Amino acid sequence: MDSGLLLNASICLAITLSSFAFAWVLSRSEQEHSLKSRPALWSLIILWTLVGLTYLPTTIRMLAAYFSKPTLDLIMYNLAAIPFAFVTVPLVFFIMYVIVGDKKISAYIAGTFVVFGILYLLFLYTHGVTGPVVSAYSSIFVISSDVAINIYLVGLFVIPTAMIIGLLFLILLQRMPKRIRYRTALPLVAISFVFDFMLTDMITLVDVMQLASRLFVLIGTVLAFLAYFPPMTIQEKLGIRQYPYELYEIEEDIEEEYEGVLEENDV
Amino acid sequence: MSEEIDVKLELEVAEFYQSLGIHQGPGDIQYRIILRVLGKNEGKITQFAEIRKYTDQFADKGSIGSKMKTVFQLEGLVDKVKRGGYIITDKGITAASFLKDSTTFYKKNKRIEQIIERMP
Repeated sequence: MDSGLLLNASICLAITLSSFAFAWVLSRSEQEHSLKSRPALWSLIILWTLVGLTYLPTTIRMLAAYFSKPTLDLIMYNLAAIPFAFVTVPLVFFIMYVIVGDKKISAYIAGTFVVFGILYLLFLYTHGVTGPVVSAYSSIFVISSDVAINIYLVGLFVIPTAMIIGLLFLILLQRMPKRIRYRTALPLVAISFVFDFMLTDMITLVDVMQLASRLFVLIGTVLAFLAYFPPMTIQEKLGIRQYPYELYEIEEDIEEEYEGVLEENDV
Repeated sequence: MSEEIDVKLELEVAEFYQSLGIHQGPGDIQYRIILRVLGKNEGKITQFAEIRKYTDQFADKGSIGSKMKTVFQLEGLVDKVKRGGYIITDKGITAASFLKDSTTFYKKNKRIEQIIERMP
């Protein structure tokens, strides 16, 4: 019984709670979003819910490892694999919808990732896993099927990651107001963080790497919060704060106005 | 520069530049259409009637004639080679190329605007 496993479990719990909270806050803000952005908003809500659903059984899994219950550990691993296998679906829909703007096309392309997810689960469950190998910091299972790992790497990892990076570059290479750049690029960085480290977490065979990956998933979730709800200090530091102002509507002669400004400045 | 001239698109682009406070050059629909027709006929004589085929939808003959004289001929973008016949100069081709870039900028800007609009 090692306290490292408890640390791991608490990180997983923090990811679960923050992901669910973020999904809930996003769903509550639906009315603030335009009709055009709602499909992308709902795909984000589903994405964060799936992240939470992946880490909820993982929390129990870590506690099971701490209390030396390998059967519960295995059951929870198999349970966590289900939401994990479909995390790419809302992610791909989100990216495709934002770029293409067509719900149908985005849904069809996201649908192909459902197939990838099903195939991954099929090979994972039929070939089984070896383990758990419980260490001071984590509990690791080794996937027995090579096909599952290949589907996992190509279908669930490489393509969606390339899509995120593509969209990120598309936005970063444009000249746009700082506020909009922050608002569009940071959620993508956060999603990329969470997504990539979730995959590393699931496939790694090194115990410390699993713990580190989960820490980065947590950081990614916090980044996503900061992207949508930036604190005032960050807004001021980055120069993205929108100051409230009223229009000055009193008509003045331009020369009088200019002289007035000079007098005010004692020039 | 042999592609078809889409008057609706040119109007959209001109309105976009006007909304940025640019009312001359890329923000002027007459300038855009005239230059597009001239650019399309690079190395050939462009008949005034051909320009009017596109401009009649939104401008009268007089204002197009005046634009030809006060902008295109005066600035050396075209040479008048016969009655109602013009040839685009090298300078005019530079202007046409700039106009093409202005359309590309508009399209790129619109695409990014739509992407941002769809981002929650």
